[in-house]
Amino acid sequence: MSKLTILAGFVLVGLMSTSAMADGHGNHVYGPFPVTLKGYSGDKTNSVSYSGQVGRQLLHNSLKKAIGKNAGLDTINSYFNGSDEELPILDPVSSEKFMVDHSNVNDISKTNLSGKAYKGDISGWPGGMSGKEVLASMIARSSEVDGGYDATHGYDYAQLVSKFAMGGIFYHQACDNYLDEKLEANNKPNNKPYKDGAYYTGKEHSWDEAFGYWGAAAHGATLSPEQNYNIAKKKDMVSADANSDGVVNLKSEMNYAHAYYASAFDKGGKTKYYKTITQAFIDGRQVIADAKGEALSDAERNTIMGKARVICSNWEKVIAEAVFKYAGSVYGDLEKLKGGGDAKAYRKYVKHWGELKGFALSLHTSHQNLGELGRKIDGLIKFGPVVGGVSPSQISMNTRRVDGVDEAGNFTFQDASVDEYMLYMLRLQKLMEDEFGVVAKNNDKLAGISNLAEKLGSGESVEND
Amino acid sequence: MPEIIELIFSDLSAQFLSPRKRLFVGYLACAFCIAVLWVCVVNRTSLKTAIAMIFAPAIWLSRSSLFDVICFLINRLLFSLLRPVLLTQITVATLVYQLLHLQVLMPIGALEHVNYWIAAATFTVFYFIFDDFSRFGVHYLMHRVPALWEFHKFHHSAETLTPLTVTRTHPIEGLMFLIRTAAVQGLTIALFVGLFGSKVDLITIYGVSIFGLIFHSLGSNLRHSHIAIRYPAALEQIFISPAQHQLHHSRDPRHYDRNFGVVLSIWDQLLGSFHPSTDEEISYGLGPAEAGFTKSVWSMYWLPFVASFRRLTRFRPRPPKGFERLR
Ligand SMILES: [Zn+2]
Ligand SMILES: [Zn+2]
Repeated sequence: MSKLTILAGFVLVGLMSTSAMADGHGNHVYGPFPVTLKGYSGDKTNSVSYSGQVGRQLLHNSLKKAIGKNAGLDTINSYFNGSDEELPILDPVSSEKFMVDHSNVNDISKTNLSGKAYKGDISGWPGGMSGKEVLASMIARSSEVDGGYDATHGYDYAQLVSKFAMGGIFYHQACDNYLDEKLEANNKPNNKPYKDGAYYTGKEHSWDEAFGYWGAAAHGATLSPEQNYNIAKKKDMVSADANSDGVVNLKSEMNYAHAYYASAFDKGGKTKYYKTITQAFIDGRQVIADAKGEALSDAERNTIMGKARVICSNWEKVIAEAVFKYAGSVYGDLEKLKGGGDAKAYRKYVKHWGELKGFALSLHTSHQNLGELGRKIDGLIKFGPVVGGVSPSQISMNTRRVDGVDEAGNFTFQDASVDEYMLYMLRLQKLMEDEFGVVAKNNDKLAGISNLAEKLGSGESVEND
Repeated sequence: MPEIIELIFSDLSAQFLSPRKRLFVGYLACAFCIAVLWVCVVNRTSLKTAIAMIFAPAIWLSRSSLFDVICFLINRLLFSLLRPVLLTQITVATLVYQLLHLQVLMPIGALEHVNYWIAAATFTVFYFIFDDFSRFGVHYLMHRVPALWEFHKFHHSAETLTPLTVTRTHPIEGLMFLIRTAAVQGLTIALFVGLFGSKVDLITIYGVSIFGLIFHSLGSNLRHSHIAIRYPAALEQIFISPAQHQLHHSRDPRHYDRNFGVVLSIWDQLLGSFHPSTDEEISYGLGPAEAGFTKSVWSMYWLPFVASFRRLTRFRPRPPKGFERLR
């Protein structure tokens, strides 16, 4: 054997190992997965299907836009309740920079949001309503004010509805239903079609639906956080267009909802929420495909339940990171507003508060009851932001906040203190860190403290002088 | 189990390899050089004699030194295990910072627009002075409060001084030091973040506070040694010399309760406990009545609890006698 052949051998081994590395432990794309249903004789070759969820992602995107542009209650409601008529997609809309393949929600799936909303009680919003009723009530009120912006009470309904819908519908459906009870052995078994006439099995489709609610592009795990973020922001068509057909396929090439927020946090480099969750979905789906249409064994079910735990615990962290971030924003806004009422700064403050509240309410909608922790979170954020009693943006005069609704359905007020509320925002950040273990920590208002503490080091050397 | 061993090993190596620690090899090397220079110049000896004097086996291999090593290891083990449950400066700082939000005297961020270097310099100097004062204060109490003195005896029971004696501390006293650190750091951090906002910084070199680096590089480790480095009288009025701390360890009653300070001697002057260094030969340790204290490592750890409990409950079968420190 000459030196050359040995060298060539090394190069070959090297190439093989690098290509294996690039591929990791196999698949990084969600689908296609084969049809495994026993006795299926149709012509389908890919069992992946979650167009109903993509339809809901588009309803949610459009609902938010509709509120913001005064579309009128009937139109806004049609995005919440669905409609038999044509439902134009308001976001994303095709542009030269970012071409998408559909412009009507019902072409993708005729569906609705309201039917899937959280039915449990939401005690963090005035009126003592269920999650679904809270969303309906916010939507109704949004149409009574310009662009869904209610300065008097400090509510930005486009933000409130959007952020709470993501949790109270998507996160709730995935982590309280599809990745929870539908993973039980006798619920939607893998040796039967999901429903009569379906070409996918019970477990295949349950898993797909949860993935659709997560909102990641099927190839998102192969991309960087920046690429995923820019896809959601409609700025990177090249990265989005995985199959190079010249358009972004809304069913599989777009990032939505919490997947988008995950990529935003991951951009900071401290976290990998997007990849972790999306890859867990892919790996779990592979386990189901590998069962080849048989009922899942206990071991297989344990594996996918483990993946489900990874998905839902990280998903919850993404929401907690958002709560952390917007608590910091609200704190910063109040710092500015204390210096003097400024309508523009006040508008921002109300927007940030709406995001904070919507994300925080979402934490209540998974399968686990937050109990005392949930009450603490609600107790810190309260029913409304601190607003000025004389004019809303003058937060130094007669400050108050919404504390409930009267019999006629009007919001009632109580006195409130700006400084105390700022303190609550700090406590909320601390709570997110202590209880949910957030890491990205955007807008960390206690960063100065932890930085200095780190620099001073601790005194555990117990030196004696 | 291997995890614990790993934890302890990394803790031990950090004691000598991190410039944030008093026993960092670099500081020990500095101390050695200063000691050589001092002995050669003051005692007019050769380099060889100086080195032989510095590493005198009678000091380094004494029973007291052996006890230092054992206590060092026991304490490291204890505190590595305790670390996760201890109060941290972050907790204190967060609490105080939250309290600052609720008072009206000082609005949060009142000095936010001050220049970075002014803010950082103010913080660094303030922390150095406050930290030094609080060390003095705790040390003062350790001597003046009888129940605490029982624990501080642990440190004063050393009969030969080596740099490792700095870690000869009863765990209860160690705990108090930790609380002191958390309180001082927590208060300072909260106050300065409250005043100057997040940009406030500690001025550091190689990740060590500039004052800490100067203090340790200038031979802080010689405070616990037999090299009696003295400063000119005027300088000793401001900074405590190694010889002054050695005098603090003296078993001669004339030297009791003198020189509690660490870096600055101004606190001792203010409270009347200042004593300049002397050229007398000093012998270290507790009074003759305390001979039983260092009977075993066990007695050093256990007796303070018994004695302190007696002091607290005023249950004293016999009055202390002889040279014992009576307070
Ligand atoms: Zn000492
Ligand atoms: Zn002492």
